[in-house]
Amino acid sequence: VSIIRRVALLLLLLCGATAAQAHPHVWITAVSELLYAPDGTLTGVRHAWTFDDMFSTYALQGIETKKKGVYTREELADLAKTNAESLKEFAYFTFAKADGKREKFEDPIDYFLDYSNGQLTLHFTLPVKTPIKARQLVLEVFDRTYFIDFQMADKDPVKLVGAPEGCKMQLQRPNDGSASAQTLNEQTFAAGGANANFGMMFANKITVDCP
Amino acid sequence: MRAPPLARLLAACAVMLALFVAIDGAIHLVMAQTPFGGPRPAPEPQVGGFVGWLLAKQSEFYREMSATIRAAKSDGSAVWTLLLISFAYGIFHAAGPGHGKAVISSYLVANQETAWRGIVLSFASALMQALVAVAIVAIGAWLLNVTAKTMCGAEKTIEIASYALIALFGARLVWTKGGTFIGALQAAPPQLAMTAEHHHHDHDHRYGHSHHHHHVHDDHSGHFHGPTPDELAGPGGWRRGFAAILTVGIRPCSGAILVLVFALAQGLVWAGIAATFVMGLGTAITVATIAVVAVFAKDIARRLSGGRDRGGVLVMRGIEFGAAGLVLLFGAGLLFGYIAAERTTCL
Repeated sequence: VSIIRRVALLLLLLCGATAAQAHPHVWITAVSELLYAPDGTLTGVRHAWTFDDMFSTYALQGIETKKKGVYTREELADLAKTNAESLKEFAYFTFAKADGKREKFEDPIDYFLDYSNGQLTLHFTLPVKTPIKARQLVLEVFDRTYFIDFQMADKDPVKLVGAPEGCKMQLQRPNDGSASAQTLNEQTFAAGGANANFGMMFANKITVDCP
Repeated sequence: MRAPPLARLLAACAVMLALFVAIDGAIHLVMAQTPFGGPRPAPEPQVGGFVGWLLAKQSEFYREMSATIRAAKSDGSAVWTLLLISFAYGIFHAAGPGHGKAVISSYLVANQETAWRGIVLSFASALMQALVAVAIVAIGAWLLNVTAKTMCGAEKTIEIASYALIALFGARLVWTKGGTFIGALQAAPPQLAMTAEHHHHDHDHRYGHSHHHHHVHDDHSGHFHGPTPDELAGPGGWRRGFAAILTVGIRPCSGAILVLVFALAQGLVWAGIAATFVMGLGTAITVATIAVVAVFAKDIARRLSGGRDRGGVLVMRGIEFGAAGLVLLFGAGLLFGYIAAERTTCL
């Protein structure tokens, strides 16, 4: 029996080695705005995602410009379109819940790319399918496969635009060691790593409570 | 004593199907508790422990690479720093993620392979990975000047092909290992009498060839003497080894491609290429280490399972079959998207 247990352990080790798969190749610094209508409903989310310089260079590969090293918004329009379309497959890495119910987003609008200091910033607005009226809204930004590492900007990471009075926003970053945090260890990885969702451990969680 | 091919096939398929269904069910169970399904474990976990540390180190090295490449533009000595960082990144990179070590380790366990061969396979496949990365960037970015969309598309295609290769490679291993496992199963239980008979037969056989085997016989007296199916399979394993190298090596690391494109844009192609190979060297060291550990672990299992008597042989054949199944499952999981964590994301 002990032999079989050891064999099982060996196989488990092999599995465990394969489980801790993902690691980021792209870093995004995000600023997000929650857009509210005059009637107090949430109508959409406006993101500004700044890519790390290595990925920015990669993304700019093959794009012709009039002036070397200078990319205008027009010259980047095709790339912005590609980005906006590609993001759909990943649900825009943006997951909303209104009072516990999953909300869906429309295709992005008003998207464009900026280039400065060697970094690209993708701006886009995600309209919600139906305007949301909720006591508690939870918005999470993360890549479930953790190919992309999302980090909310240090300064003014989240803005509420036109939110009803009395709404309170709270941002929970991954790794911030806040009260509810529990330590993730190898076991968690071995148990949950093989499935695709361990990226949620790196989620940025925005919570808005309204009266 | 071999089972007829049809029985082998059926048995192997049945086992794989059962395994796959079980794992599929388990994965769906886990998926059901995610934000994409329903409720999920409440508190936000914090990344800690050894894996968390690996991830942090890896990110750190990777992000330092771009700064160092920039610095190397004006200061040639920064290239050495770049190589050092790339090496470290390679080591940490392979320790956490990557299917390379999983496939190579499982392959080594499935076959009667030596640690040395594991080391050679690890280095050869890492070298191939680096070569493929350089080839993609050389053709895509430098020669054709395609857009990132096209290049990323090519990466994805290669990725899918490599997953299919892993699955095929695994299927082949399962086929052969399933045969030997079933052979061992049939040979095993019914008993000592039968063992003794074989024993005798084997003695006769060997005596006929050479008398120098006397000592060996004494050392092993009372144990199973017949050649194991793997010994019968004989060498020629290098061809199989090449399949392992191809399977692992065909898919380059996305990180290496990003570094190469970045270096190219900074006018430091050679630094980028050097960094890619040094990264591969680091990766190879880690993969080789894990491969060697796997081989030794199997050795320990062999010793624990009673060496070469019938029961022990059965256990070992079982381990080999299991490892073969693991390669197949892993390839299928990657191919069908159950293990999505390794996929290249094209934006």
